[in-house]
Amino acid sequence: MPQAIEPMGTASTDQTAAALLPHLATAPRRSGLIAMLGRAGNAFWRVPRESNYAKVGLIIYLIFALTAIFADQLVHYEPLEILFADNYQLRRNLPPTTDHWLGTSYSGRDIYSQLVMGTRSALAVGLTAAICVVAIGTLVGLVAGYFGGWIDNLLMRLADIALGIPFLPFVIVLASFMGAAQSNVVLGIALLLWPNSARVIRSQVMSLRERAFIEAARVTGAGKWRILFVHIAPNVLALSFLYTSVAVGWAILTEASVSFLGFGPSDTVSWGYMLQDAYASQALGRGQYNWFIPPGLCIVFVVMAGFFISRGYEEVLFPKLKG
Amino acid sequence: MSTTRRQFLGTSASAALIASLAGVPKAALAQSVSPVRALTLYSRAQAANPQQYQAAELIAQAWGDLGLDVTVSGLPQNQLSDVVWYNRDSWDVSMWQMVGRPERSDPDDFVSNLFHSANIESGYNFVGYSNPEYDRVAEAQRLVVDRDARQALIYEAQDIVNADQPYVFLVYPTKSYAYNTAVFDDTTLVNQPGLGIKNFLSFIAVEPKGDQKDLIMNVSNELNAINPYYISGAGDSWMTELIWDRIMRIDADGLPTPWAAESVTWNDEGTLATIVIRDDLSFHDGMPVRVEDMIFSLESPQRAGVAPMYKPFVDPIVAMEKLDDRTFTVELAQPNAAFETSTLSKVNIVPEHIWAPLLDALVEGETAESVLEDSRVGSGPFKFDRWNQSEVVLSAIPDHFAAAKVDRVIMRVVLNVEASLGMLRSGELNFLTDYTGDPQLLKDAADADDSIAVVDVTDIGFQFLGFNCRRAPFDDPAVRRALSFAINRRLIAGAAYNGFGRPANSHVSPALPFWYNAATEELPVGIDVATAMLEDAGYSIVDGQLHYPAGMTEQY
Amino acid sequence: MKYVMSRLLYAILVLWIVGTILFFMFRLMPGSPLAAFIDQTTTLEQQQALIARFGLDKSLFQQYTIFLQNALQGDLGQSFFHRRPVTEVVMEALPNTVILTLSGLVVAYIFGVLAGAYLAWRRGSTVEGIGIPLALATRAAPEFWLGMVMLAFFSFYLGWFPAGGANSVGLEYDSEWTRIFSVDYLHHLTLPVLTLAIYLQGLPLLLMRSNMIEILQEEFITMSKMKGLGSRTIVLNHAARNAMLPVATAFALGIGSAIGGNVVVETIFSWPGIGRLLVNAVSASDYPLAQGAFMIITAVLVAMNFVADMTYHLLDPRIRHAASN
Repeated sequence: MPQAIEPMGTASTDQTAAALLPHLATAPRRSGLIAMLGRAGNAFWRVPRESNYAKVGLIIYLIFALTAIFADQLVHYEPLEILFADNYQLRRNLPPTTDHWLGTSYSGRDIYSQLVMGTRSALAVGLTAAICVVAIGTLVGLVAGYFGGWIDNLLMRLADIALGIPFLPFVIVLASFMGAAQSNVVLGIALLLWPNSARVIRSQVMSLRERAFIEAARVTGAGKWRILFVHIAPNVLALSFLYTSVAVGWAILTEASVSFLGFGPSDTVSWGYMLQDAYASQALGRGQYNWFIPPGLCIVFVVMAGFFISRGYEEVLFPKLKG
Repeated sequence: MSTTRRQFLGTSASAALIASLAGVPKAALAQSVSPVRALTLYSRAQAANPQQYQAAELIAQAWGDLGLDVTVSGLPQNQLSDVVWYNRDSWDVSMWQMVGRPERSDPDDFVSNLFHSANIESGYNFVGYSNPEYDRVAEAQRLVVDRDARQALIYEAQDIVNADQPYVFLVYPTKSYAYNTAVFDDTTLVNQPGLGIKNFLSFIAVEPKGDQKDLIMNVSNELNAINPYYISGAGDSWMTELIWDRIMRIDADGLPTPWAAESVTWNDEGTLATIVIRDDLSFHDGMPVRVEDMIFSLESPQRAGVAPMYKPFVDPIVAMEKLDDRTFTVELAQPNAAFETSTLSKVNIVPEHIWAPLLDALVEGETAESVLEDSRVGSGPFKFDRWNQSEVVLSAIPDHFAAAKVDRVIMRVVLNVEASLGMLRSGELNFLTDYTGDPQLLKDAADADDSIAVVDVTDIGFQFLGFNCRRAPFDDPAVRRALSFAINRRLIAGAAYNGFGRPANSHVSPALPFWYNAATEELPVGIDVATAMLEDAGYSIVDGQLHYPAGMTEQY
Repeated sequence: MKYVMSRLLYAILVLWIVGTILFFMFRLMPGSPLAAFIDQTTTLEQQQALIARFGLDKSLFQQYTIFLQNALQGDLGQSFFHRRPVTEVVMEALPNTVILTLSGLVVAYIFGVLAGAYLAWRRGSTVEGIGIPLALATRAAPEFWLGMVMLAFFSFYLGWFPAGGANSVGLEYDSEWTRIFSVDYLHHLTLPVLTLAIYLQGLPLLLMRSNMIEILQEEFITMSKMKGLGSRTIVLNHAARNAMLPVATAFALGIGSAIGGNVVVETIFSWPGIGRLLVNAVSASDYPLAQGAFMIITAVLVAMNFVADMTYHLLDPRIRHAASN
């Protein structure tokens, strides 16, 4: 189905993965939730050992995560603090020095400190948005796939609608409607990006529900919801994780674009904010590569890491694609 | 080793600390003091006006040392208007600006409009400053035709504002214009006080040196109209003044001089002007400019709902009469010192045969502002050619009495500041008329390229912070003075405006040297001064937080 | 046929719902809806009159039905800022956006398909080891940042390309066609198209590669069974042709999503397209225009989703079979 291709174009192979999943899902035995989670956990650790992509991706994530956690210790200045020299003049547009590793901005702020603090808001936006997207997607996928019928129909039509709304323009309008805050960007992402994961998870659930072990659970008298969340849900967790790692990247890219266009909050330092500041302050004409290259590279690395991880998981868990 | 603002403000911060320590026993004695609320300082968004935003942040930092909790909120222009201009009762402090325009080379516009109590409700006095003494002076200066006597009144108006500080004047920005010396003969440009080289006289006088006979200028905002009854922004007003003539124009000395009129003569009382029009004027569609067109142009904005922006300028007129084919009179109820500048030099002469039917066809709720007259016929030295998304093209009228030396004026819309500078360098633009970026970069470009010349001028307009004088504690002049004196203008000019601005403390700019009251420049500055003033007025700083005098409570 | 009709109905339904959401969002936005229109000199009475003229004094429901009726007739209202019909303003910008998007996509897909096929053929080589991470990296780079780097280097530093806009100063053309096909236009188009293409090429590249690999595996299995190990190139050609189908569908979907995503590229390069129009309209609270531009972008997106659906439906026998069951 063409809809299964991510319209925003992420990992190319997702759609094929969806097609292959029914055969690949490791014929799960009848077992409890803990065992299921345990198996998911094993898969989680097995992947980075077997795939270089996942390994590199996770290492990049780890570096950024550590940076975010220890940001307060790593920065040299308050990221929004306006710095002055002894003669009351602004310390503006300084080239990189030992004092200012990446120089200072036009408004006299330390670029390195902004970059470090930006990690925090990037990961905050990326992770919350990704969790929202995948939580909605997984839930919708589970319910639609398991119950089928009119519920399935309704949910999938909702997915059609969400996919019919231009993504970035919608987030911009939403941000200007609800106010320039990162939570509104997250909301916009969550509202529109869930259908991709929902569709793939739905198709896997549809095949899982016909399996023998589900039938067995049903015979033993397990309720619908119990079957759905205890027996089926753990089997789609790996897939959810795959989508989370990609959605983190999308969220960060989107937040950066929205901030860049001037619809982001002006009191939170993010990489998008830095790039917007650089663009508006003529860093391009001044050739201040030390200002506008680093935030861009950070975005590239963290988004790429998400792609790498998702690719690694596909390779290991759905090996037919490895080719 | 670097110095942060905290360190260099350290002296003042310790002053605040001492003050707050000194305030503790006071507070212990009088338990009734209540703290001043947290404030939001509105500004244009950082992307749209980085200098203003930065100034706001510096002010917030300085006021923080006086025990105020100030958050800067950057908004797009429309939201800012909505918060400050249309809902006048609910904001506290906001950054704002008044821009220079040719007719503001007479101080009347700013002096009568900004602080007169009649304008509190919906006019220019959005800060709600009310002082009967000021009203009296502002009204009086209008009626005095003698320049020296009027000067004394204008000085007095400035003194009153200085004493009451309804605004914290920050800077008169230095505007930078640049042009290509390889294209234009620089001796032919006219430098007008307060306006610089970008003015009507320059556009008609500037002589091209070689084959490039197009004057290509830029504007940094999109235009939304080119209409003789409407000023929607800076860019379109530059176009309208080229397309439509006026009865008088502001000359190089900043004073009005007859333009489409041969002469403008006043009776002794200064209430009746006799205007003789030139006999060589015609509209761009070939029709002659008649006395009737002049009268129509001055009369039509008086009608309700035709041209709200121009109505105040023609309101002083009580009667007009055609004497013969070249002469008419304009009668005023009382003498008006600014009439020539703000009316005769401002109102566009429009063809009655085109606009009379258009105005008659207006439906309820519509003004002439919303009329699209595609041909845009005027009688000025340039006629309208075309206007699309990215540029406006005007071409010179060779047989105009003041025919321009260039063939065309092209105004290009360049939203990105960096791109406009790049286009000047590459020669795509030869007259940089709207540069809002880093002035240093423009200087650097001129230093690197012999054919780029930069001309700076101090603006008639100014940047300021407005107090909402309706709301406590800003209804107290002592508080306004203290908060104003806490701000180091030199620091603002240097740090926020990159040195390209002159510290300000008056609503009349030094760009108008005859009217400017230099005595306003002497003002005390410093956190200690401000703290002392606040304490004298009964305010106290307790635990680093500013408190009202005993007995006063927070109203908001 | 029934399938086509139902998809078409869904497309219209989506448009209607999006229009409705937008209508209410803009009506409920904080601040006077006329803020962009009302000047600082307009009196209270004039504001009232304006509000009546734009029908804003009617109930929300009445306004909504009027909006729907007008929209059906292609009337999207009057822009506050431009004081012209929204349809007119939007239609002026649309060709620039379509040309930018299509050029970017064509360049991206030609490169992506060729490079993807090449990487599939060189499976397991160092080229692939570098190529795939590189493709993923370009997909991870924000479009506006790519544009900034291009602008800083090719325009401001080297001076090879103009810094923005779609045409040089003062040039006049007889028609829209001569304008679009002028060398000057192409010169202005280059950097934005390149930026867009760099960003977009990753998807067709990865898609092409994985499809190729999949098909090649099947083909080689068949081939080896038949013991007739024919020319490798024939197989490659055959596989490439089959692998193109999903890529072609992705192309149609790409048009839809790229038009929305163009917002940033158009802003960076001051490209007078519909995305920049939308951004300007939103920040100037010109909501009829913002609404109109959004609707047109949505219409293109929905139409392209529909086209992709149909292409897939017609070309892939498996799907056709499934649908008829």
